[in-house]
Amino acid sequence: MILNRLNKALRQSLIILIFTVMIAIVFNLLRPADIALLGFSSANLIKQRQAQILEISLSEAHDLYLQKKVLFVDARDPLSYEEGHIAGALNIYPDEAALYAAKLKTNNYRGVLIITYCDGPQCPLSKETAYALLRQGVPEAKVLVNGWSLWIKAGYPVKKGRE
Amino acid sequence: MIMRNFHRIIVPLCSLAYRLILAIIFYYAGIEKIADPGEFAVAIYNYQLLPDLAVNALAVILPWLEIIIATCFVAGFYVRGAALISSALFLTFATALTINLVRGLDISCGCFGAASGNINWFYLGRDLSLLFMSIFVMIYDRGWRAVFILRSTK
Repeated sequence: MILNRLNKALRQSLIILIFTVMIAIVFNLLRPADIALLGFSSANLIKQRQAQILEISLSEAHDLYLQKKVLFVDARDPLSYEEGHIAGALNIYPDEAALYAAKLKTNNYRGVLIITYCDGPQCPLSKETAYALLRQGVPEAKVLVNGWSLWIKAGYPVKKGRE
Repeated sequence: MIMRNFHRIIVPLCSLAYRLILAIIFYYAGIEKIADPGEFAVAIYNYQLLPDLAVNALAVILPWLEIIIATCFVAGFYVRGAALISSALFLTFATALTINLVRGLDISCGCFGAASGNINWFYLGRDLSLLFMSIFVMIYDRGWRAVFILRSTK
């Protein structure tokens, strides 16, 4: 009895599914605001979103640094980090964001702004790390463009080795 | 007499009521999503569970599936099949929600189009109660006859 019902339900659901797929595809083709069925590109979306990440100026970042309201995140590779980084900075490469996100979401970091940086005005790593952290649920992250060069030029505190 | 028939009356009536509630919810959810498939695709992507290739296809098909299931529920046509699909959908939503709540992602639910709030445990509870209703309908539905059963037993 139950098997019979299930069998019937399965058959009906299959018919509904086929019918739905046909209607959905036809409707999507006909509507002016159609979207490409297989054409979703997360790469484009990520680029768009990275472009929306806020930047911060060196002076603002340094002010916050003096007030200890900031956590610098060095998005460069570990070797460059060990050769020298902003004092107190963590080293988080973009694909390591998931490992650190849980820690950065704890109460210890409440009210602390995360600022990512790398080296050179075109360097994409800082934006990638900031984006990856935001995507992991970190509340706020900004980018200090060309951060490392600006920081040493200004003569602000740096540190060598691991933290 | 009424007490003895209580189960026979109340179950089909419940099932009918659940069916109509599910229908209203599916209509609302479906229409909101059909209005802007691009936006819904982004909501699906945010769950970080599907490959790029599947995202737009799901964004196009899922809203229609919701509308057609709702229509089946209202019309009393293919109700068992529709209830089976709706149970499967709610089970899938529940899994996707749980995974991302555990991951701690702060993303839009996408339940009723782009404007719906961010995921939280309340949504999971709501989803599970809808899952219960769907399964109930799949097992006990007697169609609009439920109303006539009530009349004939009076």
